[in-house]
Amino acid sequence: MGSLLEISSGGSPLDHVVQHPLKEIQVDLGGFLTPGGVMTVLSDQITMLILAGILLVVLVPRAMRRFSTDEGIEGLVPKGSANFIESICEYLRAEVARPVLHQHTDRFIPYIWSVFFFVLTVNVLGLLPIPAISALFGTHVGGTATANIWATGTLAVLTLIMMVTNGLRFGGTTYLAHFCPGPLWLAPLLVPVELIGLIAKTFALAVRLFANMIAGHILLAVLLGFILQAGTGIGAGAGLGVAVPVVLGSVAISLLEIFVAFLQAFIFTFLTSLFIGMSVVLDH
Amino acid sequence: MEQADAVDAARPSARETTMKRKAIEVAAALGLILPGAAMAAGGDGSGSGPFAGDIGNALWTLVIFLLVVWVLGRFAWGPLLNALQSRERFIRESLEEAKKDRDEAAAQLARHEERMAEARAEATAIVEEGRRDADVVKQRIEVKAQEEADKMIERARREIGIAKQTAVHDLYAQAADMATELAGRIIDKELDPATHTELIAGAIGDLGLPERS
Repeated sequence: MGSLLEISSGGSPLDHVVQHPLKEIQVDLGGFLTPGGVMTVLSDQITMLILAGILLVVLVPRAMRRFSTDEGIEGLVPKGSANFIESICEYLRAEVARPVLHQHTDRFIPYIWSVFFFVLTVNVLGLLPIPAISALFGTHVGGTATANIWATGTLAVLTLIMMVTNGLRFGGTTYLAHFCPGPLWLAPLLVPVELIGLIAKTFALAVRLFANMIAGHILLAVLLGFILQAGTGIGAGAGLGVAVPVVLGSVAISLLEIFVAFLQAFIFTFLTSLFIGMSVVLDH
Repeated sequence: MEQADAVDAARPSARETTMKRKAIEVAAALGLILPGAAMAAGGDGSGSGPFAGDIGNALWTLVIFLLVVWVLGRFAWGPLLNALQSRERFIRESLEEAKKDRDEAAAQLARHEERMAEARAEATAIVEEGRRDADVVKQRIEVKAQEEADKMIERARREIGIAKQTAVHDLYAQAADMATELAGRIIDKELDPATHTELIAGAIGDLGLPERS
């Protein structure tokens, strides 16, 4: 027991929440895209992304199947497992998307629903003790894929692409004119500011989700690290003594994380809708 | 990070580390079932801080997310959106229809009430007229009955008068006859005063009339 504590107490809490590559290849696309000249082909977080993708692709269409099969009034009555997804979708459509997207709501709502359920699934899967179970089989899968800035960044960039392409598609020159909301002679000042604002929105979107998801995990790792630190620093008895409040605290933090997983999925979805709405609904 | 580096330097051989790590992982999995606890044993540390990851993660995210968007858009959100839209339409139509029906019912009720009031007024008028007619008939009957009664009384009176006259006539005739007969008897025999009186009383008694004073 002593040797166990000895080793584990030393590691930084961060080591326990970042991704652990399972397979890497040597590719050099520069220090930013491929740090250290390697690219991750598979990691614990990527397995969770794949799992989330499979779950969504298999389960959601299954739940929605009754809308294709039930005819007439029967198809309009909310019921069954579909109602769980449907009620969330209806809320997002009526309360989140419609106030900002107006007449464009039904055009973008499938994307918005996908964003919500994808982020939510990945967030929630990250709360399952899959790493602990996989460790029993000698592998390392599990983890929270949204606790990776590259994953959240990709989603945020997709939001940015949705904003700009649809802004140009529906607004055209009116959309471009929004980059200079003042008189023309102020354009050299306003256009860069607006462009920075656009990038900042995207960046904040990525960092908000990433930071929220990683913070809870770091907090848990730090809390549980106390047990090992007390065990090595003071003695096994102290470690056990510390374990009781720490485990209770960890349970509370885990409950909070469940809430945060839902909240952040909602916020990401809400802001995505809002940003797309700001780009395509220009008559305000 | 300094602490982590220091530990990295002090680590035992890789084989030993792996074995011990596994042991801790098992212990953590059995004991706490918290992701953090299991991960607490992991820590091979890619060394890039909280921003660990590279373009590989982005590509995976992109591919999986776009796949989810495409598959769900085609097989889940499409039917769902259709259902939500047709439900919305159905509810709006139902409400509009209900409102229309209600307005129509109210109008019909008003019409019916009006008709009822008319009918009631008509009934009252009919009853009133009947009563008036009855009164007229009653009066006519009364008058007629009165006239008839008067007529009957008149006739009765006339008949009585005739009967009386006839009786008086008869009386006169009979009286004359008796007087003639009496005179004949007087002539036939001399009469003393007593006989005279007796004769007259007898004659009157024959008439059956009460004695006149």
